[in-house]
Amino acid sequence: MPRNVMILGCGRVGAMVAKALAAEGDDVIIIDRDADNFRRLNEAPNLHMLVADGTSSEELRRCGIEKVDAFISLTAQDTVNALAAQVAQLSFSIPAVICRINDPTRRAMYDELGLRTVSPPQVLTDLVLEALGT
Amino acid sequence: MFVIVIGCGKIGYQLSRALLAADHEVVILERDSHRAAQAADELGSIVISSDGTEPAVLSEAGASRCQLLITTTGQDATNLVACQVAKHSFRVPQTIAVVTDPDHVSLFKQLGVDVTISTTELILSHIEEEIPGGSLVHLLPLQGAASGIVCVRIPAGSPAIGLALDDIGLPTGTSLAAVVTKDGEIKMMGDELLLEQDDEVVAITPPDREALLWKALTGGG
Repeated sequence: MPRNVMILGCGRVGAMVAKALAAEGDDVIIIDRDADNFRRLNEAPNLHMLVADGTSSEELRRCGIEKVDAFISLTAQDTVNALAAQVAQLSFSIPAVICRINDPTRRAMYDELGLRTVSPPQVLTDLVLEALGT
Repeated sequence: MFVIVIGCGKIGYQLSRALLAADHEVVILERDSHRAAQAADELGSIVISSDGTEPAVLSEAGASRCQLLITTTGQDATNLVACQVAKHSFRVPQTIAVVTDPDHVSLFKQLGVDVTISTTELILSHIEEEIPGGSLVHLLPLQGAASGIVCVRIPAGSPAIGLALDDIGLPTGTSLAAVVTKDGEIKMMGDELLLEQDDEVVAITPPDREALLWKALTGGG
Protein backbone atom coordinates (compact mmCIF):
# COMPACT_ATOMS: atom_id res chain seq x y z
CA MET A 1 0.00 0.00 0.00
CA PRO A 2 1.76 3.21 -1.13
CA ARG A 3 1.94 5.97 1.47
CA ASN A 4 1.58 9.72 1.02
CA VAL A 5 4.71 11.32 2.44
CA MET A 6 5.69 14.98 2.73
CA ILE A 7 9.37 15.87 3.12
CA LEU A 8 10.57 19.34 4.11
CA GLY A 9 14.03 20.29 2.86
CA CYS A 10 15.66 19.13 -0.36
CA GLY A 11 19.27 19.10 0.77
CA ARG A 12 21.36 15.96 0.37
CA VAL A 13 19.47 14.08 3.07
CA GLY A 14 15.98 15.19 2.04
CA ALA A 15 16.67 14.41 -1.62
CA MET A 16 17.99 10.93 -0.83
CA VAL A 17 15.04 10.06 1.39
CA ALA A 18 12.63 11.38 -1.27
CA LYS A 19 14.31 9.28 -3.98
CA ALA A 20 14.29 6.16 -1.83
CA LEU A 21 10.62 6.49 -0.88
CA ALA A 22 9.56 7.30 -4.46
CA ALA A 23 11.49 4.24 -5.69
CA GLU A 24 9.50 2.12 -3.24
CA GLY A 25 6.31 3.42 -4.84
CA ASP A 26 5.27 5.97 -2.22
CA ASP A 27 3.69 9.23 -3.31
CA VAL A 28 6.18 11.90 -2.23
CA ILE A 29 5.74 15.66 -1.94
CA ILE A 30 9.06 17.42 -1.30
CA ILE A 31 9.15 21.08 -0.28
CA ASP A 32 12.02 23.54 -0.34
CA ARG A 33 12.23 27.32 -0.22
CA ASP A 34 14.80 27.29 -3.03
CA ALA A 35 13.85 25.72 -6.38
CA ASP A 36 17.59 25.25 -7.16
CA ASN A 37 17.74 22.47 -4.60
CA PHE A 38 15.45 20.29 -6.71
CA ARG A 39 18.42 19.78 -9.07
CA ARG A 40 19.29 16.85 -6.81
CA LEU A 41 16.17 14.99 -8.02
CA ASN A 42 14.94 13.53 -11.29
CA GLU A 43 11.35 13.90 -12.45
CA ALA A 44 9.05 11.02 -11.52
CA PRO A 45 5.25 10.79 -11.63
CA ASN A 46 5.03 10.08 -7.89
CA LEU A 47 7.56 12.77 -6.85
CA HIS A 48 6.14 16.28 -6.52
CA MET A 49 8.55 19.18 -5.98
CA LEU A 50 6.98 22.33 -4.54
CA VAL A 51 8.59 25.65 -3.65
CA ALA A 52 7.21 26.78 -0.28
CA ASP A 53 8.13 28.01 3.19
CA GLY A 54 7.72 25.02 5.50
CA THR A 55 7.38 27.21 8.59
CA SER A 56 4.08 28.63 7.31
CA SER A 57 0.97 26.57 8.14
CA GLU A 58 -0.85 28.23 5.27
CA GLU A 59 1.81 27.16 2.75
CA LEU A 60 1.94 23.62 4.15
CA ARG A 61 -1.83 23.43 3.70
CA ARG A 62 -1.50 24.70 0.13
CA CYS A 63 1.05 21.92 -0.53
CA GLY A 64 -1.46 19.32 0.64
CA ILE A 65 -0.23 18.45 4.15
CA GLU A 66 -3.77 17.54 5.21
CA LYS A 67 -3.70 14.44 3.00
CA VAL A 68 -0.33 12.92 3.97
CA ASP A 69 0.29 9.89 6.21
CA ALA A 70 3.79 10.96 7.18
CA PHE A 71 5.71 14.24 7.53
CA ILE A 72 9.52 14.34 7.70
CA SER A 73 11.41 17.57 8.34
CA LEU A 74 15.01 17.33 7.11
CA THR A 75 16.31 20.87 6.57
CA ALA A 76 19.74 21.82 7.93
CA GLN A 77 18.13 24.07 10.57
CA ASP A 78 16.95 22.49 13.82
CA THR A 79 14.62 25.40 14.55
CA VAL A 80 12.81 25.13 11.21
CA ASN A 81 12.54 21.35 11.57
CA ALA A 82 11.20 21.58 15.11
CA LEU A 83 8.56 24.18 14.23
CA ALA A 84 7.38 22.38 11.08
CA ALA A 85 7.27 18.96 12.78
CA GLN A 86 5.22 20.31 15.69
CA VAL A 87 2.87 22.09 13.28
CA ALA A 88 2.41 18.77 11.41
CA GLN A 89 1.89 16.79 14.61
CA LEU A 90 -0.37 19.18 16.53
CA SER A 91 -2.04 21.51 14.03
CA PHE A 92 -2.59 18.92 11.28
CA SER A 93 -2.59 15.67 13.35
CA ILE A 94 -0.35 13.82 10.88
CA PRO A 95 -0.02 10.24 12.22
CA ALA A 96 3.74 9.80 11.63
CA VAL A 97 6.10 12.75 12.10
CA ILE A 98 9.88 12.50 12.01
CA CYS A 99 12.14 15.44 12.77
CA ARG A 100 15.86 15.96 12.18
CA ILE A 101 17.54 17.65 15.17
CA ASN A 102 21.31 18.03 14.94
CA ASP A 103 22.04 19.41 18.40
CA PRO A 104 22.17 16.48 20.87
CA THR A 105 20.84 18.42 23.91
CA ARG A 106 17.89 19.82 21.99
CA ARG A 107 17.30 16.38 20.53
CA ALA A 108 16.95 14.84 24.00
CA MET A 109 14.44 17.55 24.90
CA TYR A 110 12.30 17.00 21.80
CA ASP A 111 12.35 13.24 22.38
CA GLU A 112 10.95 13.91 25.85
CA LEU A 113 8.32 16.21 24.36
CA GLY A 114 7.08 13.37 22.16
CA LEU A 115 8.65 14.07 18.77
CA ARG A 116 10.33 11.23 16.92
CA THR A 117 13.77 12.68 16.18
CA VAL A 118 16.81 11.63 14.18
CA SER A 119 20.21 13.19 14.78
CA PRO A 120 22.77 12.91 11.95
CA PRO A 121 25.78 13.55 14.28
CA GLN A 122 24.55 10.79 16.58
CA VAL A 123 23.95 8.35 13.70
CA LEU A 124 27.39 9.09 12.26
CA THR A 125 29.06 8.68 15.65
CA ASP A 126 27.38 5.33 16.18
CA LEU A 127 28.47 4.14 12.73
CA VAL A 128 32.07 5.28 13.26
CA LEU A 129 32.26 3.53 16.62
CA GLU A 130 30.75 0.43 15.09
CA ALA A 131 33.29 0.51 12.24
CA LEU A 132 36.06 0.80 14.82
CA GLY A 133 34.66 -2.29 16.49
CA THR A 134 34.15 -0.62 19.87
CA MET B 1 13.93 40.70 37.69
CA PHE B 2 16.50 38.84 35.59
CA VAL B 3 15.34 38.80 31.96
CA ILE B 4 16.92 37.15 28.90
CA VAL B 5 16.02 38.74 25.58
CA ILE B 6 16.58 36.74 22.37
CA GLY B 7 17.13 38.85 19.27
CA CYS B 8 18.35 42.43 19.16
CA GLY B 9 16.47 43.81 16.19
CA LYS B 10 14.24 46.88 16.56
CA ILE B 11 11.88 45.17 19.01
CA GLY B 12 14.57 43.45 21.07
CA TYR B 13 16.71 46.58 21.29
CA GLN B 14 13.92 48.94 22.36
CA LEU B 15 12.52 46.36 24.77
CA SER B 16 15.93 45.86 26.39
CA ARG B 17 16.41 49.59 26.83
CA ALA B 18 13.02 49.84 28.51
CA LEU B 19 13.78 46.88 30.80
CA LEU B 20 17.15 48.36 31.77
CA ALA B 21 15.55 51.74 32.45
CA ALA B 22 13.14 49.97 34.80
CA ASP B 23 16.17 48.55 36.67
CA HIS B 24 15.82 44.97 35.51
CA GLU B 25 18.87 42.80 34.95
CA VAL B 26 19.04 42.00 31.22
CA VAL B 27 21.12 39.71 29.00
CA ILE B 28 20.57 39.92 25.24
CA LEU B 29 21.47 37.09 22.86
CA GLU B 30 21.87 38.08 19.20
CA ARG B 31 23.13 35.62 16.60
CA ASP B 32 24.30 38.24 14.09
CA SER B 33 27.74 39.40 15.30
CA HIS B 34 27.57 42.74 13.49
CA ARG B 35 24.20 43.60 15.00
CA ALA B 36 25.36 42.39 18.42
CA ALA B 37 28.45 44.63 18.26
CA GLN B 38 26.32 47.65 17.36
CA ALA B 39 23.97 47.02 20.27
CA ALA B 40 26.90 46.43 22.63
CA ASP B 41 28.21 49.92 21.76
CA GLU B 42 24.99 51.35 23.18
CA LEU B 43 24.06 48.87 25.90
CA GLY B 44 27.42 47.48 27.03
CA SER B 45 28.60 43.98 27.71
CA ILE B 46 25.13 42.56 28.36
CA VAL B 47 24.86 41.83 24.62
CA ILE B 48 26.23 38.40 23.72
CA SER B 49 26.78 37.40 20.11
CA SER B 50 25.39 33.85 20.19
CA ASP B 51 22.48 31.68 19.10
CA GLY B 52 19.86 31.81 21.85
CA THR B 53 18.25 28.55 20.73
CA GLU B 54 21.36 26.59 21.80
CA PRO B 55 21.05 25.03 25.26
CA ALA B 56 24.79 25.59 25.91
CA VAL B 57 24.45 29.31 25.12
CA LEU B 58 21.38 29.72 27.33
CA SER B 59 23.15 27.92 30.14
CA GLU B 60 26.09 30.31 29.94
CA ALA B 61 23.74 33.29 29.84
CA GLY B 62 22.31 32.17 33.17
CA ALA B 63 18.99 30.74 32.00
CA SER B 64 18.63 28.54 35.08
CA ARG B 65 18.21 31.61 37.32
CA CYS B 66 16.29 33.65 34.75
CA GLN B 67 12.70 34.60 35.66
CA LEU B 68 11.54 35.71 32.23
CA LEU B 69 12.70 34.94 28.69
CA ILE B 70 11.42 37.01 25.78
CA THR B 71 12.06 36.07 22.14
CA THR B 72 11.84 38.92 19.64
CA THR B 73 13.37 37.66 16.39
CA GLY B 74 11.46 37.83 13.11
CA GLN B 75 11.58 34.06 12.80
CA ASP B 76 8.85 32.06 14.47
CA ALA B 77 10.99 28.89 14.39
CA THR B 78 13.78 30.57 16.37
CA ASN B 79 11.33 32.11 18.83
CA LEU B 80 9.53 28.82 19.46
CA VAL B 81 12.66 26.70 19.96
CA ALA B 82 14.26 29.27 22.31
CA CYS B 83 11.11 29.30 24.46
CA GLN B 84 10.86 25.51 24.48
CA VAL B 85 14.51 25.07 25.49
CA ALA B 86 14.09 27.75 28.21
CA LYS B 87 10.95 26.12 29.54
CA HIS B 88 11.95 22.47 29.43
CA SER B 89 15.71 22.47 29.91
CA PHE B 90 16.01 25.45 32.29
CA ARG B 91 12.56 25.66 33.95
CA VAL B 92 12.25 29.37 33.14
CA PRO B 93 8.94 30.28 34.80
CA GLN B 94 7.68 32.77 32.20
CA THR B 95 8.28 32.84 28.43
CA ILE B 96 7.00 35.44 26.00
CA ALA B 97 7.31 35.04 22.21
CA VAL B 98 6.78 37.43 19.36
CA VAL B 99 4.92 35.53 16.62
CA THR B 100 4.77 36.75 13.03
CA ASP B 101 2.48 34.08 11.53
CA PRO B 102 -0.98 34.40 13.17
CA ASP B 103 -1.55 30.69 12.42
CA HIS B 104 1.14 29.86 15.00
CA VAL B 105 -0.44 31.63 17.98
CA SER B 106 -2.49 28.70 19.27
CA LEU B 107 0.31 26.20 18.53
CA PHE B 108 2.81 28.23 20.58
CA LYS B 109 0.33 28.28 23.50
CA GLN B 110 -0.24 24.55 23.18
CA LEU B 111 3.53 24.02 23.31
CA GLY B 112 3.88 25.89 26.59
CA VAL B 113 4.82 29.43 25.53
CA ASP B 114 3.14 31.53 28.23
CA VAL B 115 2.41 34.68 26.27
CA THR B 116 2.37 35.22 22.50
CA ILE B 117 2.42 38.60 20.83
CA SER B 118 1.28 38.45 17.23
CA THR B 119 2.89 41.44 15.52
CA THR B 120 0.94 40.87 12.31
CA GLU B 121 -2.42 40.83 14.10
CA LEU B 122 -1.50 43.90 16.15
CA ILE B 123 -0.60 45.90 13.08
CA LEU B 124 -3.64 44.69 11.13
CA SER B 125 -6.03 45.61 13.92
CA HIS B 126 -4.59 49.11 14.13
CA ILE B 127 -4.94 49.53 10.38
CA GLU B 128 -8.50 48.17 10.45
CA GLU B 129 -9.41 50.80 13.03
CA GLU B 130 -8.31 53.54 10.68
CA ILE B 131 -10.08 52.30 7.55
CA PRO B 132 -13.35 54.22 7.00
CA GLY B 133 -16.42 52.07 6.40
CA GLY B 134 -14.72 49.78 8.77
CA SER B 135 -14.64 46.17 9.56
CA LEU B 136 -14.51 44.13 12.68
CA VAL B 137 -11.59 45.37 14.79
CA HIS B 138 -9.62 42.79 16.76
CA LEU B 139 -8.85 44.13 20.21
CA LEU B 140 -7.44 41.19 22.15
CA PRO B 141 -7.02 37.44 21.62
CA LEU B 142 -8.15 35.28 24.57
CA GLN B 143 -7.15 31.76 25.61
CA GLY B 144 -4.57 31.32 22.86
CA ALA B 145 -6.84 32.90 20.23
CA ALA B 146 -9.68 30.40 20.87
CA SER B 147 -11.80 33.53 21.27
CA GLY B 148 -11.18 37.21 20.96
CA ILE B 149 -12.53 40.58 22.00
CA VAL B 150 -13.60 42.55 18.94
CA CYS B 151 -15.26 45.86 18.25
CA VAL B 152 -17.91 46.64 15.62
CA ARG B 153 -19.41 50.05 14.80
CA ILE B 154 -23.13 49.87 13.94
CA PRO B 155 -23.50 51.47 10.47
CA ALA B 156 -26.53 53.27 9.03
CA GLY B 157 -29.02 50.74 7.70
CA SER B 158 -27.92 47.97 10.05
CA PRO B 159 -30.70 45.48 10.82
CA ALA B 160 -29.62 45.58 14.49
CA ILE B 161 -30.62 49.25 14.98
CA GLY B 162 -33.51 49.57 17.46
CA LEU B 163 -33.26 45.94 18.50
CA ALA B 164 -32.73 44.55 22.00
CA LEU B 165 -30.01 42.01 22.71
CA ASP B 166 -32.34 39.00 22.48
CA ASP B 167 -33.72 40.07 19.10
CA ILE B 168 -30.46 40.63 17.23
CA GLY B 169 -29.98 36.98 16.35
CA LEU B 170 -26.37 36.69 17.46
CA PRO B 171 -24.48 33.61 16.28
CA THR B 172 -24.17 30.95 18.99
CA GLY B 173 -20.97 31.13 21.01
CA THR B 174 -20.69 34.91 20.67
CA SER B 175 -21.58 37.45 23.32
CA LEU B 176 -21.88 41.24 23.44
CA ALA B 177 -20.06 42.79 26.37
CA ALA B 178 -20.71 46.52 26.25
CA VAL B 179 -21.63 49.42 24.00
CA VAL B 180 -19.92 52.77 23.67
CA THR B 181 -22.30 55.35 22.19
CA LYS B 182 -21.16 58.04 19.75
CA ASP B 183 -21.14 60.48 22.69
CA GLY B 184 -18.66 58.25 24.46
CA GLU B 185 -21.11 56.93 27.04
CA ILE B 186 -20.48 53.35 28.16
CA LYS B 187 -23.54 51.11 28.48
CA MET B 188 -23.49 47.55 29.68
CA MET B 189 -25.49 45.09 27.65
CA GLY B 190 -28.87 44.34 29.18
CA ASP B 191 -32.35 43.44 28.03
CA GLU B 192 -33.52 47.05 27.98
CA LEU B 193 -30.64 48.39 25.83
CA LEU B 194 -31.50 49.09 22.20
CA LEU B 195 -28.68 49.48 19.67
CA GLU B 196 -28.34 52.75 17.79
CA GLN B 197 -26.47 53.85 14.71
CA ASP B 198 -22.76 54.61 15.37
CA ASP B 199 -22.74 52.64 18.63
CA GLU B 200 -19.47 50.78 19.02
CA VAL B 201 -20.22 47.29 20.24
CA VAL B 202 -17.58 45.31 22.14
CA ALA B 203 -18.12 41.59 21.64
CA ILE B 204 -16.46 38.27 22.45
CA THR B 205 -16.35 35.75 19.63
CA PRO B 206 -14.43 32.70 18.38
CA PRO B 207 -12.60 33.52 15.10
CA ASP B 208 -14.84 31.30 12.97
CA ARG B 209 -17.99 33.20 14.04
CA GLU B 210 -16.65 36.64 13.18
CA ALA B 211 -18.29 36.76 9.76
CA LEU B 212 -21.71 35.82 11.20
CA LEU B 213 -21.34 38.36 14.01
CA TRP B 214 -20.39 41.05 11.50
CA LYS B 215 -23.48 40.23 9.41
CA ALA B 216 -25.81 40.27 12.46
CA LEU B 217 -24.54 43.67 13.60
CA THR B 218 -24.08 45.46 10.26
CA GLY B 219 -26.18 43.55 7.72
CA GLY B 220 -23.09 43.44 5.48
CA GLY B 221 -21.66 40.26 3.98
